[in-house]
Amino acid sequence: MISLYMAHPSWLHKLPAGLKLLGLLLLSVLLYPVANLGLMGLMLLFTLILYASVGKPALRQLLILKPLAPLFLLIFLMQTWTVGWVSASLLVLRMLVLILLANLITLTTRMDDMMSAITPMFAPLKLFNIDPKRIAFAVTLLIRFVPVLMAVIQHLMEAWRARGGKRQVWKLAIPLTIQSIRLSDHVAEALAARGGISTITNPRVSTHEPR
Amino acid sequence: MTQPKKQTLSIQFEQVSLIRNHTNVLNNLTFELDQQRIGIIGHNGSGKSSLVRLINGLLQPDSGKISVHGNSPSVGPQKMSAEVGFIFQNPDHQIIFPTVEEELSFGLINQGHSKQLAKEKALAILAEHQRSDWAPKAIHSLSDGQKQLVCILAVLVMEPKVLILDEPFSALDLITRYQLLNLLDSLPQQLVMISHELETLESFDRILWLESGRIFQDGTPAEVLPEYYASARKFRS
Repeated sequence: MISLYMAHPSWLHKLPAGLKLLGLLLLSVLLYPVANLGLMGLMLLFTLILYASVGKPALRQLLILKPLAPLFLLIFLMQTWTVGWVSASLLVLRMLVLILLANLITLTTRMDDMMSAITPMFAPLKLFNIDPKRIAFAVTLLIRFVPVLMAVIQHLMEAWRARGGKRQVWKLAIPLTIQSIRLSDHVAEALAARGGISTITNPRVSTHEPR
Repeated sequence: MTQPKKQTLSIQFEQVSLIRNHTNVLNNLTFELDQQRIGIIGHNGSGKSSLVRLINGLLQPDSGKISVHGNSPSVGPQKMSAEVGFIFQNPDHQIIFPTVEEELSFGLINQGHSKQLAKEKALAILAEHQRSDWAPKAIHSLSDGQKQLVCILAVLVMEPKVLILDEPFSALDLITRYQLLNLLDSLPQQLVMISHELETLESFDRILWLESGRIFQDGTPAEVLPEYYASARKFRS
């Protein structure tokens, strides 16, 4: 199954997940007031060096920027029009740095560790009688299944084009929704069949419809 | 005379019915499975998948009683997971974690083991099957057969007494299928397997043939499989 995690070991894999997330949080606050284009450019360079230090497979992951490029271009144009090209460049660079660093954390952190790291953040939910572990599990599952859903879209597009479909990709929204719901049913069954997550106390019956 | 020991090591259905969307999926099924290797066959839509999901509580019957080695699946799949291991058709639907070690530890942590012990047990079962190098591997880098092996190990590590397999080999090539069958043959667990590959079931102890939610035939592979084959062969012109 596809996953964002990269097994290729590196020094970044060894850092505690909490430290990586905290670092990203700190950086995103610190970068906010930076108005120096050179400094921001340097940050992007630093980010790219970080990718390089993790190894070739990480550098290949930079390709995630390709589908984002039109979006960045659009933001840049809009911002140039409203606040000028310097602010526009700053904004786009800042976004690039943060997205790339966040992606790097996802690539080098095991789901287990990610879950333990973010569980304390949801501690206040205990007040509402919601188990923080369950929410943390849901969040990590979400990260985990992003590439799976991307693959589902890919398959649907192939099936669409194989029968002569034109570029009206939005029509895939409904089959994608159906497939996602089916997928989540399968995952729920698999979770339940291996004891669910340890905090589920009352058994719930799957809604999956076997043939 | 039934021995008490045998009593607890069997799966018993007593007048079990299951209704889904106003249609009877399973009709008043009564049987006792006390053999080691049980195969379930039947055409698509005959109720096979529903039947095995009743055994570990993923589905609950609308009427009737089920007992699995003395336990009632009405406690739900979470609690039944200690007793019954379930292998699904598509490994991609049941592998939840990105690395092999996390995947194998998951069920153990649910059983209440500490993270450390879960990890030790996961590594131990990998070593036992000569796959120690798999622990840190990303599951998406494995082949389909290897993924299915991870699924099987992830369930075996929980030490269930019954293993249910819902068409586990349908996406695998013949060699991989034989290799996994060798592994299954060596297991002490009671096995209930749905399969469309009749050859796989030839060495089993008993075959249930389901048709429209009823047991159409029940017997040894030598009795049931040739008839099943003949009934399907009629449709080939």
